Amino acid sequence: MQFACDSERRMNGHVKSMRFQQFMEPATTLLSLLLVMAVDSTRIVAASRNQQCGTSLQQTLKLTRLVQKESINLIKTYKASQGEMSELFCKVSVNNVPDPNISGLEPSERLLSIYTHLQDFFPHFKRVYEQQTDLQSPASPLLRELSHVSASSRNLAALITSLYQSLFPNLPVPEPAGGPTTLPPPQNVFQQKVYGCVVLKTYKELLSNVSRELRTLKSKVCRRIQINTLF
Amino acid sequence: MVFIMASAASLQLLLLACVASSLPASGGDGHLLIAPQSPVLEIGTNFTATCVIADTDRVTADDLSWNLSRTTVPRDQYAKINESALAVTVPVVGEKSEWLFCLGRKASPNFHLDRSKFIHGILLTKGYRPVKPENVSCQAVQGVKYISTTLRCSWAAAGRQTSGVPTSYTLNVAVISSAAFNASTRGNEAAVDFLTSFPNHMMLDIWVEAHNRLGRVESEHLKEEAGWFVKTNPPSDVQVVSERSFPTSLLINWTHPIPKEYVRLTYQIRFCPNGSESWTYVPLVDTATDIQSFRLQNLRPATVYVSQVSCKNAREGHGYWSAWSANATAATPEDRPGKPDLWRIVSEGDDGRLVQFICKDPVRPNGRITGFSIRLQDQKVPRPVNRSESGSFTVLQRLRLADGKSVKAFAAAHNAVGKSAEASLVIPDKAHEPPPVAELKVWPQGGRLWLEWTPPNSSSLSEYVVQWVSGEQTDWQRENRTTRRTAIKGDLERFVCYNVSVHPLYSGRTGRAARAEAFLEQGAPLEAPAVRLKGKPGHNEAELVWKELPQRSRRGFITNYTIFYTSETTTHKVTLPADATSYTLTSLTGNTKYDTWIVASTVNGSTASFNHSFTTLKYAPGEMEGIVVGVSLGFLFLVVVTMLLCAYKKDAIKVNFWPRIPDPGESTIGSWSPDYPLKAEPPKESGVSVLDVDACDGKSVFEEDKAGCLPLKKDKYLSEEHSSGIGGSSCMSSPRQSVSDSDEGGDMADTTAGTVQYSSVVAANNGYKGQAPQQAVFSRSESTQPLLDSEENADTSLQDGGGRGPRRPCSDQQGALEALDFCPLDEDGERQATPTDGQEGAPASSYRLQLGGYRPQ
Repeated sequence: MQFACDSERRMNGHVKSMRFQQFMEPATTLLSLLLVMAVDSTRIVAASRNQQCGTSLQQTLKLTRLVQKESINLIKTYKASQGEMSELFCKVSVNNVPDPNISGLEPSERLLSIYTHLQDFFPHFKRVYEQQTDLQSPASPLLRELSHVSASSRNLAALITSLYQSLFPNLPVPEPAGGPTTLPPPQNVFQQKVYGCVVLKTYKELLSNVSRELRTLKSKVCRRIQINTLF
Repeated sequence: MVFIMASAASLQLLLLACVASSLPASGGDGHLLIAPQSPVLEIGTNFTATCVIADTDRVTADDLSWNLSRTTVPRDQYAKINESALAVTVPVVGEKSEWLFCLGRKASPNFHLDRSKFIHGILLTKGYRPVKPENVSCQAVQGVKYISTTLRCSWAAAGRQTSGVPTSYTLNVAVISSAAFNASTRGNEAAVDFLTSFPNHMMLDIWVEAHNRLGRVESEHLKEEAGWFVKTNPPSDVQVVSERSFPTSLLINWTHPIPKEYVRLTYQIRFCPNGSESWTYVPLVDTATDIQSFRLQNLRPATVYVSQVSCKNAREGHGYWSAWSANATAATPEDRPGKPDLWRIVSEGDDGRLVQFICKDPVRPNGRITGFSIRLQDQKVPRPVNRSESGSFTVLQRLRLADGKSVKAFAAAHNAVGKSAEASLVIPDKAHEPPPVAELKVWPQGGRLWLEWTPPNSSSLSEYVVQWVSGEQTDWQRENRTTRRTAIKGDLERFVCYNVSVHPLYSGRTGRAARAEAFLEQGAPLEAPAVRLKGKPGHNEAELVWKELPQRSRRGFITNYTIFYTSETTTHKVTLPADATSYTLTSLTGNTKYDTWIVASTVNGSTASFNHSFTTLKYAPGEMEGIVVGVSLGFLFLVVVTMLLCAYKKDAIKVNFWPRIPDPGESTIGSWSPDYPLKAEPPKESGVSVLDVDACDGKSVFEEDKAGCLPLKKDKYLSEEHSSGIGGSSCMSSPRQSVSDSDEGGDMADTTAGTVQYSSVVAANNGYKGQAPQQAVFSRSESTQPLLDSEENADTSLQDGGGRGPRRPCSDQQGALEALDFCPLDEDGERQATPTDGQEGAPASSYRLQLGGYRPQ
């Protein structure tokens, strides 16, 4: 009888164990399925965001290189159109020209810095254009290239904004132009020529920094996004 | 549902209230007003208008009616809202604008005076809703340096529009995160200007909005990077470089049309031999992005090639292909030539075959062929031969080859770089020539001559040579062993007969040829053969002959000749086969002029020769001769019959025509006549006094015993009695007729004189021996008989010293009738007169006198 009861207990315990196992098997399957779906969805999102990141950044980088090339050509045109001593004009230093260096520690800060610097240059471009309008003939290629670079720079600024929004959607949108930059006081012709060359050179330097920064950003941010989305 | 209907009713009432309240303010004099005013309606829908009565109670809604243009709207389409408002619902059909009138009518005495105040109308403008534009596409082309700031777009306008409700389109271009631009148009293309620069690398959102008074609709948005729409200039400074060490390669260099910072470009290259229009395209996968040079390979040496380059945005699906660059031309360097095309011409001779080995430039000369070299099978050193500049091939060697012998030749081509490999050809002995192809057909099609044949059953067949010969020109081409049908690749001339032959080659050994003649295109013959008569035309036939047309004049296969021949009225034609060269026209009419010509025909036309005229004979050969012979025979037969008749019926004739007259010579009177007095006395038996002077014997009429004078006297006697009717058949007839037949003379004689003196002249020298008087005696006659002319002439002759005249007729007549044994009495007299007479011209004179007949006295 004892044996029988023990045997029954054991048997009950075995039954319990069997029931638990029967419950656990579909749960495990379901869990596995959910995990697979989660991983797959994150991969899809990651791939999508990564692709978006790469496309936007690539596009921005292309435009940066284009504006950089145009700025180099613009400096050549500028020097050619200033007459004698043009090399000398470009060696003189001038205050009140925006800083070409990009500041910030985080990628978002640096991207914002790029945007801000680009915005800072627009009034200076406008001033140089106005000054050169007085100094050059209306058909001068310098004026055409100035306006061309200026327009491209605005497009670049727009792309930086767009990239910033796509990369850091939770951060505030950068403010439009009209920042703290200060324009120089009225200048004589010499000062104007010096000022114009310095603005263009500084701008070219800025674009060089932007290009470098974007390449870095591409390697860091887009990969980080990918990693973040994966885990 | 009830709520909606209630809302609609309240809205309508509100509208009516507004309209009614606006009536006084509108300043109109009318009492009716339609709402809504000047509606724009969509075709295919229903339109409801309401007519409101204001400021009068002279009419109610029951007195109102609606007219659409000139048609009254049926009352079942009306809806009475209240006593002062009536609505109508009309379907909007047709594209033309229409007037809708609200009219008030009431049978009252003075209503018609205010009729103008009870009418109001609105113009229904009809149209369609705009339809979404399709297939929007845009393009920005490159300017001198940059991409143009103008973006030009086009689209397919869908749907219909009316003149009352036109559709306009607005092209919208938004540079994402930057500026937006637009342009409007009535057409289906427009352009926006980005003002300062093309927004390179920026995203563009482009769409077209179609809008009119019935609504607006947008096309699908085209959201692409700006490079999607770019079409650059073609690559500039395209140059092709030839490198001596690479005879099958050319290097192409070019410059990017635009810096790669703007657009990264991919390139497309095509090339072709100079003069050819068949471009070879380099696969796109072979041209990497952003390249500025490419090497063309596997080209033919010493060939001029033309190359072109095009480019587009390297991003897949982005941009448009630019136009092709200008031609860049260069020639590949020379190389050793390929094998020459060795062939032969064999002509049969009496003592074997005359073989010419001929050679064309290799298919790949790889430069300018300067010459060839040939050697026969047993020769070690090849013999150089200069390349012929005149013909299409060069004759390398001529030799005589016996029918039982074979020969093998080796030939090589030379150019500036070197010598080709040798080509070989074997001409086997005639008895062992391999079999030809069978069932060779040649026909023109599509401006080319096509050939088809059945191959010989031989496994050693290696290739075919198709040869075509025209006159002195020979050319050939090679076909591989599987060819059954091909076209001649040479430049053939139209209207020229080509002798086409197919020669199978058995491992270099030439087989027997199959031949056929063909024209690339047939035309009417250049001329027709000159037709002429063979010999002379006959009475009703003529044989025409002509020469076979020369080959150059045929311009096609002569299908037949047609001979035309025409008299003045009818034209006949005869069709003859192409190999005919003569024809005999029959059933012609004699003595008729015929024009004849010949027409030579091919399948594509005919040409007529010049006319040839001839006249048929009046009589057939021998016909005239037959007539003459017949007539002659007939005449001869008649003569013979007459003669026979005379011979056999001599006695009867004699009796009938010359009745026997008693011969005075036999009379006994004659014995006393010599002393008869000269005084003439009229004959007793006739009662006519005749003094007849007979020249036959010159004797006096009183010497009646003389026989020679008897006939004349007998004539006179006969004429007094009757006419003989024989005429000139007798020597006696003429004088007799002269007298007796002349009625006039007789009448005159009867009327003029009762007595005519006759005179007779008796020739003195014609006297008979011992009997004739010694001199002429003139005696006057007492007779009334008129004188005969001959008698007068006889007088004249006598006066002239003649005396022969009267004698000659008799002698002459006698000469003619002698054979008939005629005038026998005179015969004696003649014999007597001959010694003294004997003159030759007497008959003519005598005959003339007789022809003169007599003159009326």
